[in-house]
Amino acid sequence: MKSAHVQHLYNRIGFGILPDQLNQLAAKSKQEVVASIFADVKQPKLLKVDLSFLKELKPGDLKNKEKRQEIRKKSRRKVNEYSVAWVKRILNPTDVFREKMTLFWANHFVCDSRNNVLFTQNYNNLLRKNAFGNFVSFTKQVSKDAAMLGYLNNKQNKKKSPNENFARELMELFTLGENNYSETDIKESARAFTGYNHNFRGKFILRENQHDTNDKTFFGKTGNFNGDDIIDIITQQKQCALFISEKIYHYFVNEVSNKAHITAMANVFYKDYNIENLMRFVLLSDWFYNEENIGSKIKAPIDFLASIHKIVPFEFEQPKQILLVQRLLGQTLLKPPNVAGFKTGRSWIDSNTLVKRLRLPSILLNNAEITYTDLGDEESTLPKKDKKLKRKTFIKTQTDWLTFEENFKSTNNKTLIYSVLGSNINKGTSELLEENLHIPKKDFCIQLLSLPEFQLC
Amino acid sequence: MKRRDFLKQTTFASGMFFVPQFLKTFEQIPKEISSYKKVVIIQLKGGNDGLNTIVPFRNDIYYQKRQNIALQKNELIQLTDNIGLHKSLQPLQNLYDNGFLNIINNVGYPNPNLSHFRSTDIWQTASDSNQYLQNGWVGRYLDYTKANPTKAIEVDEALSLMLKGKTKNGLAVTDAKSLHNSLREPFYKNVITANKDAHLNEHNLGYLYNTMIDAKSSAKYIFEKTKVKTTANNYPKNSFGKQLKTISQFINSGLETQVFYAGLTGFDTHANQQNTQTRLLKTYAESMAVFINDLQKNNTFKDVLVLTFSEFGRRVKQNDSRGTDHGTANNVFIMGQNLKQQGFYNKLPDLSNLDKNGNLKHEIDFREIYATILDKWLAVDNKAILNKKFSNLNFI
Repeated sequence: MKSAHVQHLYNRIGFGILPDQLNQLAAKSKQEVVASIFADVKQPKLLKVDLSFLKELKPGDLKNKEKRQEIRKKSRRKVNEYSVAWVKRILNPTDVFREKMTLFWANHFVCDSRNNVLFTQNYNNLLRKNAFGNFVSFTKQVSKDAAMLGYLNNKQNKKKSPNENFARELMELFTLGENNYSETDIKESARAFTGYNHNFRGKFILRENQHDTNDKTFFGKTGNFNGDDIIDIITQQKQCALFISEKIYHYFVNEVSNKAHITAMANVFYKDYNIENLMRFVLLSDWFYNEENIGSKIKAPIDFLASIHKIVPFEFEQPKQILLVQRLLGQTLLKPPNVAGFKTGRSWIDSNTLVKRLRLPSILLNNAEITYTDLGDEESTLPKKDKKLKRKTFIKTQTDWLTFEENFKSTNNKTLIYSVLGSNINKGTSELLEENLHIPKKDFCIQLLSLPEFQLC
Repeated sequence: MKRRDFLKQTTFASGMFFVPQFLKTFEQIPKEISSYKKVVIIQLKGGNDGLNTIVPFRNDIYYQKRQNIALQKNELIQLTDNIGLHKSLQPLQNLYDNGFLNIINNVGYPNPNLSHFRSTDIWQTASDSNQYLQNGWVGRYLDYTKANPTKAIEVDEALSLMLKGKTKNGLAVTDAKSLHNSLREPFYKNVITANKDAHLNEHNLGYLYNTMIDAKSSAKYIFEKTKVKTTANNYPKNSFGKQLKTISQFINSGLETQVFYAGLTGFDTHANQQNTQTRLLKTYAESMAVFINDLQKNNTFKDVLVLTFSEFGRRVKQNDSRGTDHGTANNVFIMGQNLKQQGFYNKLPDLSNLDKNGNLKHEIDFREIYATILDKWLAVDNKAILNKKFSNLNFI
C-alpha cells in the first residue's frame, strides 16, 4: 500500500498512525492490511467503572424521594467518571477501530441516561458489543434497552395512551430518515411497542396488560406485530440500508455524498445487514482512497484530542479536567445535545471553538493557563452559592516527550509535516513551515498541531 | 520554561509584526451606527415558571393547583386588579410604569415538546415541533443580509444554534480581549499573513482558514472599538450581570452588532421552587434594570429592543416536591422605549382550559414575535428568514 493510503486508512478507522507501524504496513497489500484490522476487533473489551455503590440498592429505595435524589446525584457523578474513562479508553485504545465505530453508533443511536450510571454503562457497552454485528439485531436490542426505553419515553408507551416518541425517532433518525414513512406508520408502530419496560436492574420486560395485541397495519402489512416485527419490516425496506450506508459514508469517507458509492454500499449491506462486511467493503474499495476523500474531514473534538495524543502522549494530572476540555471543545461524551446527536462536520467549528482548538495543543503540552466561564451544573435544582464569574485554571498534564522522541527518532522536521498533517497544506503555510525546519523538533511539532490543517483528517 | 519564553520559541521568526492588511477592516466602512436597530435576546434557561412570575392572584384554580407554592397577594407587586408581579421583579416596576415593558402571555407553538434541548432547538431554529433544522433564525438573518460575524454576538463560550446560519455564523464572545489576544500571537499572525493571497476555496480547509481570519478580524474589531468605552459599574456581580455589562459596552461603543444573545441558567425548578425562582428572578431583574438604565444614559435605549423568553413554561399543577414539572406556553417580556402596546399585550392564561397533560394552551406562536421583530424592527421580510410567512403582532 502507499504510505499516504495507510495513513488515510488509520486516520479514519482510528486517530492516526506512528511512523514504525506505517512503514510496516506500507510493505503489505491492501487486503492484508484490512484483514489485520478486522482480526484486531474480534473480541470487544467492555468498559466498566466501579459501581459497587449500587450493590446494596433495593427497588424500594427509589420510592423514597431523598434516597432517590441522593442516588441520582451519585449516578451523575459516576456518569462523569464514565465519560472520563471513555475518553481515556479512546486515547489508549486496545482496539481502536471498535472504539471509533462505537463513537459512530453513539452519535447514531443517540441516548442520554445520565441519571442512571448502570443503564449508561450497559448502553455504552451494547454499542461496543454490536459495533460490527448485525444491524437488525442491534436495533432490536436498542429498542429494549433500559436507557433507551427511558430516554425516548417508550416505557410510558401504553395501550391506552400510546407514546409515539420512540417509534418516530426509530424511523426518522435510526433507520429510514425523514420523509420515508407516514404519520400512520408512526401511530401503528408505536402501538407495537406498547408495554415495553424494564425492571429495576435494567432487564427488559414486556408488560402484557399494557401491550396492544390488536392488528396493526404498517408499510402495507397487517398483523399483530410486536416491536421486533416492526424492526424486521423496517429493515426489509431498501431505504434502511441506504440510510445507514450514507451515514457511515459521511462519517468514514466524506461528508459530501457520492450516490454511486453509497448505493454500492447499500447493495452489500442489504444482503444481511452485517456491519463488519459493510465496513470491509468500504475499506477495500478503491474509492475510499480517492484524492477527494483524503484529509477532507473535520475531526470531531474527541478525535482531535485523540489525534494529538497519538503524536505526543500526555496524561491529565486531574482526570476531571478531561470534562472541562470536552466542554470547551463542544463535545461531552454521554451528554448529547438532543436525540439527533452532535452536529458534525463544519458545525464543530465556530470562531470561538476554532480558536480553542488552535490553542489547545500548546495548552495541553505545555501546562498553559486557560480561562473559562463556570456554568455550574445545569441540572442541579438545589440553590447554590454564586459561582465565581470567570475561572482560570492550568490544564495540568504530564507530557511524554521521551516517547515522542523515540517514536519519531528517524523522522526529521520535513517528514514530520506529513506524519502530523493528513490534509493538503495551504501554500503560504507550507512556505512558512519550510522556513522553520531548523527549529527544535518538539517546537516544530507543536506548531504543526496548532494549524488549521491539523483540524482535518 | 515560562509561557512567554515558550511562545517566543514556538514563534515563526520572520515578519513578526507585519500588519495583516488584507484583513476585513470593517471599521473603515462608514456606517450610520445610530440608525441601527438592535435586538437583545435573553433566555431564562430551564423553563421559567411563568405562572409564578405573572401571578393571577384572584384566580381560585391557581390556588387550588398550587397549594404549597402559590404566591399570596401580599407577597406580590400589584400591577392591575387581578395581576401581580413576583416580588423579585420589583426593579422592573419602573419600566412597567414608564411603558417600557410589554408582557405577551400564552406564547408557545403547536404540539409542544417538553424536552429542554428539543424545545430550545425549536425556539432557536424557529422550526415546527416535528422539524429538525440545522440552522438558527438569527443565523439565517446573517445569511440573508450577507453580514459579518460581528452582526450577531452571543456572550457565551460556544455558539448556539440560533446564531448559526447556512453560510454565515455569528460570534461567541465572553471576553473580546482574550479572544483578541489568543490570536494575536505572532504564530497566527504569520500563518494568516502567509496565506493572504491564497485562494481560500470552498473546501473544509478554506472554511477553517476563513473562520480563523474572521475570528481574528472580528476580535480585533470588537476589542479596539470597545476598549475605550466604560460602562456603569453597578452591575450585579454574577455571570448574568457580567453578560449584560458586556452587551451594554458593545452597544454603547457603537458596534455594528444587531443581535445579542445571553442567558440565565437554573430555572428547572422541579423541587423547592420558591427559593430558587426568587433568587434567579432577582438576578434577572436587578441586572436588567441596571442595563436599561445604562442604555438610557448613553442615549442608546431608543434603538434597542429586549426579548426575554424561556424554552417552555411549567405545569399548572405543582408536583409533590414543592416544584413544578415541564410545561408549555409561557409569557414573553418585550422591553423598549417605543412600544405600541404597553403593559399587557393579551389576557392571562385560561387555567380552566388546559391540554390533556394539564398544560396551558398556546395562543400566540413565538414565531409571530420573531416575525414582528424581523419585519418592523430589523426591516427584513420575515418569510425569507422563517421559511414561511407569519403574521405580525402589534407591540412595535
